[in-house]
Amino acid sequence: MGQGLAGYILRRLLWAVPVLFVVSIVVFYMLRLAPGDPVDTLLGQRYDAEVAERLRGKYGYDQPVYIQYVKYMRNVLQGDLGVSTRHQDFSVKEVIVPKIRVSATMGLFALVIVFVLGIPVGVYAALSRGTPVDPLLIGSWLFLDAIPVFVSVIFAQWLFALKLEWVNLGYEGVFHKNIILPVLLISLPGVAGVARLMRASVIQVIGEDYIRTARAKGLRERTVIISHLARNAMLPMVTVIGLTLPGIFAGSLFIELFFGIPGIGRESLDAVRAPDFDVVLALVLFGSTLFVVANVVIDVVYGFIDPRIRVGATRGG
Amino acid sequence: MAVNVGYAETNAFEQRRAPRWRALRGLARKKVAMIAIAYLIVFYGAGFFAPVVATHDPNRQELTVETVRQGPSADHLFGTDALGRDLFSRVAYAARTTILFTIIVLLTGGVFLGLGLGLLAGYRGGWVDTLIMRVGEVLAGLPTLLLMLAIAAAFRTRINDIAFWLEDNTFLGDDAPTLVKFMIVVGAAVPFAWIGSSRIVRSQVLAIREQEYVLAAEAMGASTWRILVRHLLPGVLPIFMVGLSGGMAAIAGAEVALSWLGLGIDPPGSSFGSLISEAGGVRTFQTFPHLLIASATPVILFFFAWNLLGDTLVDWVEPRTRGR
Repeated sequence: MGQGLAGYILRRLLWAVPVLFVVSIVVFYMLRLAPGDPVDTLLGQRYDAEVAERLRGKYGYDQPVYIQYVKYMRNVLQGDLGVSTRHQDFSVKEVIVPKIRVSATMGLFALVIVFVLGIPVGVYAALSRGTPVDPLLIGSWLFLDAIPVFVSVIFAQWLFALKLEWVNLGYEGVFHKNIILPVLLISLPGVAGVARLMRASVIQVIGEDYIRTARAKGLRERTVIISHLARNAMLPMVTVIGLTLPGIFAGSLFIELFFGIPGIGRESLDAVRAPDFDVVLALVLFGSTLFVVANVVIDVVYGFIDPRIRVGATRGG
Repeated sequence: MAVNVGYAETNAFEQRRAPRWRALRGLARKKVAMIAIAYLIVFYGAGFFAPVVATHDPNRQELTVETVRQGPSADHLFGTDALGRDLFSRVAYAARTTILFTIIVLLTGGVFLGLGLGLLAGYRGGWVDTLIMRVGEVLAGLPTLLLMLAIAAAFRTRINDIAFWLEDNTFLGDDAPTLVKFMIVVGAAVPFAWIGSSRIVRSQVLAIREQEYVLAAEAMGASTWRILVRHLLPGVLPIFMVGLSGGMAAIAGAEVALSWLGLGIDPPGSSFGSLISEAGGVRTFQTFPHLLIASATPVILFFFAWNLLGDTLVDWVEPRTRGR
């Protein structure tokens, strides 16, 4: 497996590199070719042709786009992500690293909640298959999935902050109790997806011989469900983490706006609107690389924890 | 092949089951699917016939203290918004945006790219297959919303030039700016709309391309095109449509989200995204709840209906997970 696994990881990463390059070129050209650049935004009402010319020279916007791209990529590969025009020439790293930390922490909380809720729901739905409980359970989570976060957030803020007065809406750091509501709002739409896949997985495992054996041994039903059924059915769920990430990112973008959380979701929206070339590019490249690497890691981990999956044979190629 | 075996097993198995739960469950399932379909028909009908359904001009403002933010009444079924515009009519036109958007993205991203690339990858195999599937795999793993934001924002700044040109040189007139914004959102969504369906189509093609009738057609010298369209396509279509129905909510959701952010369709065009964002924040909701409820409920039910339908259909093609 070692040889095959190494080859598999290498193949996956090798495919990611050209695609990430294409993404970077497309986004770079889109940003540069659109009329209106950061200099226009910077000067705004005080626009002066001469000052604008000087600023464009300073940031290199007066050069042909392909030269700008080559220079940019050369810097990126050396670890220099450029400067943020929106944040008075702070380096992109200084601008985004603290925000990434905030968003990543929240995203991690949300990811945990999605699985902590989704897995039991899926198991329960699978076990009550054939009764109305199963479609009702899955159906109600599908309903939560159907509510856009920018709608549910208003309702939740009204209910919990204005009506019940359980929480206030200020942001006081990611480890403060005020973070509970935003994190819940990010995670709830993702639960249905995890629950459905878990349900399917449990239904597949339920017919396996070792479950029958466990029951025949006279184990308590609780033990059978928790240690035999759910544990084995959970293995494929590892790969679902990758599918859940984009949803969590999208959710946190909206939620960060509503709760005034200084994360990358909000920053990316502001950067796209400004436009703030280097920040947009850094976020796109960082996000894309992170997601690609995460998916490869997840597949590899899955191969390790479930030796029945021979990566080379079933998933490579 | 595998699917057929699955069905046979299920049927044999079902006959041995107590019919009580099965009937109830079957009824619940079917009823749910029927209600979902009924709602979708109403939604699509309302959107398609928006000019007929709308009781008022969706853009006519009535700016007096009595006419803005009215609650629902016989004259204004969903009440009026902050500018005194009839919300029911605006919702009908927003439904029109949604159905146009889903249909266009379906045809381009779903059918043209998803079905086309899936058939190609599955039938041709080799490097074509590898290229399509690997690119799809990486695209699927990207932060879609961020890329859509970048695409939409980059192109939005140049809409004025294009829109004015269209206004002057085509029959579109005043609709031109909305059309251009619309196309930008389509352009932002399509690159990500084909991945799921092409994957499903490919795996189904792989399953049926070795069947005797396909081999026979090949042996008789049928052209690639003929084999794809006459022999593979019919076998692929059902599962393709299941895949699509599962992805519809996400496709429509992309437009709503972009419009909410102000990067999609905005007034005078109607979109659920801009309607919801105009409904205001939590303070406005406290005082005028009908603004948010009236603009959000129709589209939430739309997403929900597609989710339910997708869920039911997945069980139908994947009998092993079906409630028995």
